[in-house]
Amino acid sequence: MDKRIIYKNTDGTISIIIPTNEALQTMTIEQIANKDVPTGLSYKIVNASEISSDRTFRDAWTIADNELTDGVGD
Amino acid sequence: MSKILVDTIDTRSGTTNLTIGGSNNTGSTTIKTNNTDAVTIDNSQNLKFNSGYGSVATAYGCRAWVNFNGIGTVAIRDSGNVSSITDNGTGDYTVNFTVSMPDINYTTTYAGGQKSATWGLYLGYSSYGSSTSGHRFHVTTPADATTDTSFCSLAFFR
Repeated sequence: MDKRIIYKNTDGTISIIIPTNEALQTMTIEQIANKDVPTGLSYKIVNASEISSDRTFRDAWTIADNELTDGVGD
Repeated sequence: MSKILVDTIDTRSGTTNLTIGGSNNTGSTTIKTNNTDAVTIDNSQNLKFNSGYGSVATAYGCRAWVNFNGIGTVAIRDSGNVSSITDNGTGDYTVNFTVSMPDINYTTTYAGGQKSATWGLYLGYSSYGSSTSGHRFHVTTPADATTDTSFCSLAFFR
């Protein structure tokens, strides 16, 4: 299943990590998250289909802190 | 100088790695074709090649590259030495390297936009600057407004 990693920046904005196929051949999605999420920020791994393709209000996207439960960036 | 005449150098049965040179090889290693230097590795481990250049010269390698779609469902078409991209917002992305750069002095080339959609886009450094682990950049219109685009191509040299 195609996955995405969501984390909240210190200014409250949301970033979404899209892993490459080449990385997924040698790393798990959790390893990519630990590496590419900024140090100390909590993240959540979701199915790509859960991310809206309508980016009209992309900069207003948000997520509740208590949903970021899958790990913390190294 | 001594010379060995052979047609092929191969590994022994069951040996998978072929090594040329060792502790005695403190100079350069050169491969010639038609008695002309084609490839040289100097004693600082710089790879030099000719390939139509006229002489062997140092190859400055592309250390990472990526081509992705930043519109709609952001998706990576293909990449090299890139573990992921981060969608930070409209026209605001980070390329994350699989193997980090040795320093932040690498150079970046950008190509982006799509003539049938939006033309004249600027892709460039963001105020976040570069790091050894990744490079954050912005896509903006000529009016300096951030925007998404369907083709974002970046290559990193060091």
